[in-house]
Amino acid sequence: MHRLKLFCLAAMLPTLLLHAETDPDAAVRQSIARAVTGSAAEQDSVLQQIAASEVVTKTEHDLLASWNNGEIYLYDDPSGKSIPIVLEQSDADKTRAFRVDTGELLQDSNGAPVMIDPTTATAADINAALRKKIQRTLDLLSLADPSPDVRRGTAFKLGTSQKPENLPILEARLKTERDTGVKNILLQATALIELADSAHPDRQIAAANQLGKMNSIGGLDSVAGLADSKSAAPEVKQAAEKAAQSIRSYLAIVNFFGTIFRGFSLGSILLVSALGLAITFGLMGVINMAHGEMIAVGAYTTYVVENVFRDGLPLSPLGISIQLPGLHLSGWLFQTYFIFAIPLSFLTAALAGLALERLVIRFLYRRVLESLLATWGVSLIMQQLFRLVFGANNVQVNSPSWLLGNFTISDVILGYNRIFVIVFAILIVVGTWLLLTKTPLGLFIRAVIQDRDMAACMGVPTQKVNMLTFAFGSGLAGLAGAFLSQIGNVGPSLGQSYIIDSFMTVVVGGVGSIAGTVVSAVGIGCSDQVLQQVLGSPVLGKITVLAGIILFLQWKPGGFFPTRSRSLDS
Amino acid sequence: MHKSFRQAEIWGIAIAAIAILGVLPALNAFVPESSPLHVSDFTINLYGKYLCYAVLAISVDLLWGYTGLLSLGQCMFFALGGYAFGMHLMLLIGKLGQYHSDLPDFMVFLGYPKLPLHWEPFRSFWFAVAAVVFVPGLVALVFGFLAFRSRIRGVYFSILTQALTYAACLMFFRNDFTFGGNNGLTDFKFILGYDIRSAVTQRCLFIATGVLLILTYLFCRWLTLTRFGKIQRAVRDSENRVLFSGYAAANFKLFVFVVSAIIAGLAGALYVPQVGIINPSEMAPDKSLEAVVWVAVGGRGTLIGPVVGAIAVNALKSWATRAYPDLWLIILGGMFVIVVLFLPKGIVGLPMQLWSLFKRSTTLWKKVQEQHAGTTELPIKESSTRQGG
Repeated sequence: MHRLKLFCLAAMLPTLLLHAETDPDAAVRQSIARAVTGSAAEQDSVLQQIAASEVVTKTEHDLLASWNNGEIYLYDDPSGKSIPIVLEQSDADKTRAFRVDTGELLQDSNGAPVMIDPTTATAADINAALRKKIQRTLDLLSLADPSPDVRRGTAFKLGTSQKPENLPILEARLKTERDTGVKNILLQATALIELADSAHPDRQIAAANQLGKMNSIGGLDSVAGLADSKSAAPEVKQAAEKAAQSIRSYLAIVNFFGTIFRGFSLGSILLVSALGLAITFGLMGVINMAHGEMIAVGAYTTYVVENVFRDGLPLSPLGISIQLPGLHLSGWLFQTYFIFAIPLSFLTAALAGLALERLVIRFLYRRVLESLLATWGVSLIMQQLFRLVFGANNVQVNSPSWLLGNFTISDVILGYNRIFVIVFAILIVVGTWLLLTKTPLGLFIRAVIQDRDMAACMGVPTQKVNMLTFAFGSGLAGLAGAFLSQIGNVGPSLGQSYIIDSFMTVVVGGVGSIAGTVVSAVGIGCSDQVLQQVLGSPVLGKITVLAGIILFLQWKPGGFFPTRSRSLDS
Repeated sequence: MHKSFRQAEIWGIAIAAIAILGVLPALNAFVPESSPLHVSDFTINLYGKYLCYAVLAISVDLLWGYTGLLSLGQCMFFALGGYAFGMHLMLLIGKLGQYHSDLPDFMVFLGYPKLPLHWEPFRSFWFAVAAVVFVPGLVALVFGFLAFRSRIRGVYFSILTQALTYAACLMFFRNDFTFGGNNGLTDFKFILGYDIRSAVTQRCLFIATGVLLILTYLFCRWLTLTRFGKIQRAVRDSENRVLFSGYAAANFKLFVFVVSAIIAGLAGALYVPQVGIINPSEMAPDKSLEAVVWVAVGGRGTLIGPVVGAIAVNALKSWATRAYPDLWLIILGGMFVIVVLFLPKGIVGLPMQLWSLFKRSTTLWKKVQEQHAGTTELPIKESSTRQGG
């Protein structure tokens, strides 16, 4: 990182040279160069001058950092004068050098660049006291940095160091700081430093109270450490203990909401996938074990679309090599790939579902167990096809940049991708509900669910309804796959890890009931995440959920919302 | 269904018994290797494995073919039996393991200070045998009680058994579950004081498996011929009528479930010393579905079907995974789809299916002839019976 910075600096210097007259850096350069070779008093005055200045330039910061790291060297020119220089970053034995005072390339009398060997060059003298001063100046500079993120990071760093000499800087900054977030951190930082001040127990108590009141998660370690320390006074320990407890309970709440949030996003994916299953199962009474592979179809479609938007994708199924052409897009055009991938995932999965329905499932209506077995065969075939086409290893789908970030609400981190999944799941549920209740197709579907034979007598084209519904259900699985590709990797057995969960969701929710599926998907997703956290292991969480489901069915064998029917074998 | 064993069946069992218990081991032991009739140790071992699978398949069929309960977790019972016996074999290794410790290798590797308490009694052979019977039996009893009590039927039962085996599989994958985690139990050295890898021991294990298969077959045949068997099939065909006739269908189902779990456990126990390893992947949901494929391919609702299916599919698998490793899963899946769609009675039912097809077409042909001879105006229309949708 630092090498890179130096390199940028070195690359930038020649351009600065062109307008040295108007360059605000010129004065700074001069004074730093003077300070490097000057006396201690001179150095002090320069550093104070820099710290007091309102505007901080990058050059200033970088030069100070180089000085602090011992990367400013001295070059003795033929006239016997010592010139401070920085070296260009390169892998060669000897490198070019730039003068600190002007930023120009160091040249000999003939105008050729002087080559310096970094291993033998003499570094400018720097002792511990000076280094401390420079570091302090640097901290001051970054506390005044225009970016709040940098200010926050520095304040936090200064606070956790718990060094009393940083206190005045922080307090000075606290007076001028306007950003409330940074102000908050500054307050925590000053409290943290005061916490370490064992000479004044009253200040320690006040600081502990302050940290406890502010629910400072970053201060928890220090407060807890103080509460356990042997040397501290009992009142201090008591206050620290109280503060630690308050922070811990706050942390528990934050973790809880974080878990709930992750549970909701997992539940949303389960929901989208299980919704399709609930409809096909409820409508046609067939169990589609290949539903998980429809998820994989959607995920792989996203993968293909991403690669087509980039540079194309070479595929070699069964020894035949196919090169998918690429669009070679970059920038925001490339970032839109996911918007195209979503409907395409739906379409490909729906088409796969349509083919499956026509070729296999239509022979198996009302033979539930047989449909389970036949579709399992289909799922094996599809998994192997994925392996042959895309390889046995997982492939990585790169999320578009607009899904990558996150934002924080009182310390709970919310990832954009997970929020996106939740919002989209809500849209899909609403869409499905509208389709089932407000469209002619929905009317037909409900009629067929209630009484297939009677619906057929009334002229409902049941075959066509089956076909369309099955395609729709598979398409929903494809959508789930597109979302999953944004949260994890895509592999041939992706569907396998979701199919059992999806079935559980349907069974718990009550077959053919959308409301039930929603409730159970969110419930299973959340309890899975919460139990993972509580039990400390994902596997134990999963096992407990499965056991819980078995017990739940003792209580409500038909699920949350069982379909009411007069038939005995519903 | 016939009241007693048919003549042909008795002959069939006798021939199979002679072949498995006498001829194959004899060809392995006494015929010199140069002779074309010699059966290699590898083959004996392989067939021993197939016979274990055949017993497992019978247990699946007892549930699915005869009682209408499609259990997708049968391999869990198989693996539980295997683990119970594997624990005993593990303790017999003694200090001969890689770490020369009294503890099994994986425990040394995972840093166990001493043998966990529940491993202690497995030093006894008879305790292990009892565990092979009782552990799967008890698990089946508890799960079956809960499931049948709340009238979980049909496809719900299948999904739940699948979830059960999935949960067990995840559990056994954990290192701190004291059963070797990922790697399972392996590197066995002795069984009952004999070297487990010697040809003689393997031959004896093969014979033992054969005996188990024949006994299982006879037991299931007897069971299905009794009044109990009749109720069992009645439950399959119409559970509600059974209920209305005053039978506690749940108890019958529970009994069959437990019996078939014990049979599967016994098969697993004999499988482990022949294969030399037991690990959690044996109870992965796929394995149980595969066992269902054997039954479907062989022909469900018969007892010979599962045996034929298990041996045929596994022989095909042994060949295909070597000849076409990439295509094996496609072959298996395709086979499954075709059998379910077109051969509901499996291989065993194929002759009957072909015969009835032949008879139907000849009668149809005769009708056409008669129609032609009698009148000229009516071309035969295919009778269109709308199915399903």
